[in-house]
Amino acid sequence: MLRTQGLTKEFGGLTAVDSVDFELDAELCSLIGPNGAGKTTFFNLLTGTLSPTEGTVELRRDGTWEDITDASPHETASKGIHRSYQVTNVFPNSTVLENVRVAEQAHSDDATSFWRNVDHYDEFTERAHEILDRVGLSHRAEDLASTLSHGAKRKLEVAIALAGDPTVLLLDEPNAGVSSESVDEIRALIEAVAEDYPVLLVEHNMDIVMGVSDRVVVLHQGAVIADGPPAEVRANPDVQSAYLGGYEPGSLDDDTTAAGSDRDSEEGMA
Amino acid sequence: MEAGWPREYLRDHTAHILVIALLALYPPVYHILLNSPVSAETQMLLPTVETMVGVLYFGLFAISFDFISGYTGYLSFGHAVFYGTGAYTVILIANGKLPLLGPGTPFMLSLLVGGLIAIVLAMLVGLVSFRLSGVYFAMITLGFAQVFYVFVRGWDYVATNPRDGPAVGPSHAEGFQIGVPGIDQLSLSIGVLTGDEVALLGSTLSGTEVSYYMIGLVVLACYFAMQRVIHSPFGRVMIAIRENEERAVAIGYNTYLYKLGAFAISGFFAAVAGGLFAGFKRSASPENAFYFLVTGDALLASIIGGFGTLAGSLYGHLFDETVREFLSKAGQGGGLLPYLRALLGQETLDATLVGDTTIGGLIDLLLNGHASLYVGLVFVLFVLYVPDGLLGTLRARLGGTFAEALPAKLWGDSE
Repeated sequence: MLRTQGLTKEFGGLTAVDSVDFELDAELCSLIGPNGAGKTTFFNLLTGTLSPTEGTVELRRDGTWEDITDASPHETASKGIHRSYQVTNVFPNSTVLENVRVAEQAHSDDATSFWRNVDHYDEFTERAHEILDRVGLSHRAEDLASTLSHGAKRKLEVAIALAGDPTVLLLDEPNAGVSSESVDEIRALIEAVAEDYPVLLVEHNMDIVMGVSDRVVVLHQGAVIADGPPAEVRANPDVQSAYLGGYEPGSLDDDTTAAGSDRDSEEGMA
Repeated sequence: MEAGWPREYLRDHTAHILVIALLALYPPVYHILLNSPVSAETQMLLPTVETMVGVLYFGLFAISFDFISGYTGYLSFGHAVFYGTGAYTVILIANGKLPLLGPGTPFMLSLLVGGLIAIVLAMLVGLVSFRLSGVYFAMITLGFAQVFYVFVRGWDYVATNPRDGPAVGPSHAEGFQIGVPGIDQLSLSIGVLTGDEVALLGSTLSGTEVSYYMIGLVVLACYFAMQRVIHSPFGRVMIAIRENEERAVAIGYNTYLYKLGAFAISGFFAAVAGGLFAGFKRSASPENAFYFLVTGDALLASIIGGFGTLAGSLYGHLFDETVREFLSKAGQGGGLLPYLRALLGQETLDATLVGDTTIGGLIDLLLNGHASLYVGLVFVLFVLYVPDGLLGTLRARLGGTFAEALPAKLWGDSE
């Protein structure tokens, strides 16, 4: 669905992403790595928010690979690469329904219509309701997004990404900051969504990563150091040393803290 | 459509009909009150019909400012450029100074031409300015506006004395006609002196009153057009940009193009407002058309009326003008100062309070020529205590727009 070849991003002397060859199929693939490993930068390269120093990004649609290395963020989104954000990034003073509806509308030629009333376009509203049903927010449809609890906002994040029939979903820590009671709901949501769409998941909660992923890719200092089924990656000595700095190899379960270099978050992580 | 749709339509638009009716009744009510026992109080409190004409066209300008600034969140501090463009276009056409368009060009067409020129200008300014956001966008549009302001001040093609600005010359001595171009029966002239007088129901509407209604019609049409855009899918994208532009991009909108489109629409209506202003006043100057304080007045109107409410800007400007006129000295329909002078009488005014200060002197000191000071204070109070503005606060109270809430209150819930 989505692949990169030799993808590299340098910020001055720092190589944030170091010639990454990666391919995402119809699967749930988790991207993990310690702080500053380049996960969020990698996401930003895929969506066009950043342009790579070297390498290519390609998207497979209708059986052919299309080079989207230089596409801008709105272009990659229209092509079907949808993302959710690590720090909640919704339309705060719009209703929950409108948050999803406007995202659904983005994938239609009718978005530029400036003369007909928005109520005329029922199909966007209907699909928005379906998506809200799916993430379990339909009872909050008419509330302002800013009034949602943090956990509900995380669901809305995913709902917005789901709108407009994505080709691939990039979920950037959907669990960030979610209380332990709600983690299971979001986890179930990720699993349900992965049945319909290829998902690339950045996640720090190792229970979830090991439980839901078909495949785990580990980034360390911008480079891929491991790629394989969860159990295999867990046992990989390189991974253990990357996470634990070479000290006492053991469980990965409880060592993670803050994520990408540019964002903060996730109190209450397991 | 179901059989009941006209009723349904009227029901949904109760608030609009109410506001339009109130505005339409203003001139006769003002006239009646002026000839009643409360004449002096009316003169003190209520703005004159001529002031109300200004409220309408400048209100339209403030609405167009709110359209771009209140809905996309990009403060267009150079909005006066479009207002000035509309005003100058109308006068230049009337003076035969615009190629291809003679002095006989219908006013309605001049308004349209001014609007189209403003769209082109908005595109040019927007192409550069929308690469920036936040305060930088405000600053660069302000910069553009000042460039245009200085330019028209020195451009001696537009007027013999460009610093004073152009006035409509003898090539267009008759009033500007609003209505259907080419059909005299469906057009009426505007202007204080040049406006048509109309005999209606045994009384005569003065030129100013006719101007009030005709300009009101254009403003109303423009308002509904902008409201329609806001309620369209395009308008929802504008709101999405205001709410969170990063996410709007991430869900697939080329926000740059949407912002440009919104800016062009806004510029068009600002120019129509400027054209109405020039058509009514028959002159314009760099100071009252292109200067950045013109934009400042629109900002004031939007903040007082409610940012991002469209109609609120008109009410905000009405409020602003009413307070200004109430506090200004005689000349334009009275105010507090002449009222107090007349009420208290010369003897009381001459009575001394402390030392040399007479009561009359004190009133003079407090009120004479200080309207702007008090309006400024009102503005500060609004920003502090009514941050959502008049209409914004009303909406928050009602839990929806006034137009939606009023029918439900009056006629009960539908369905």
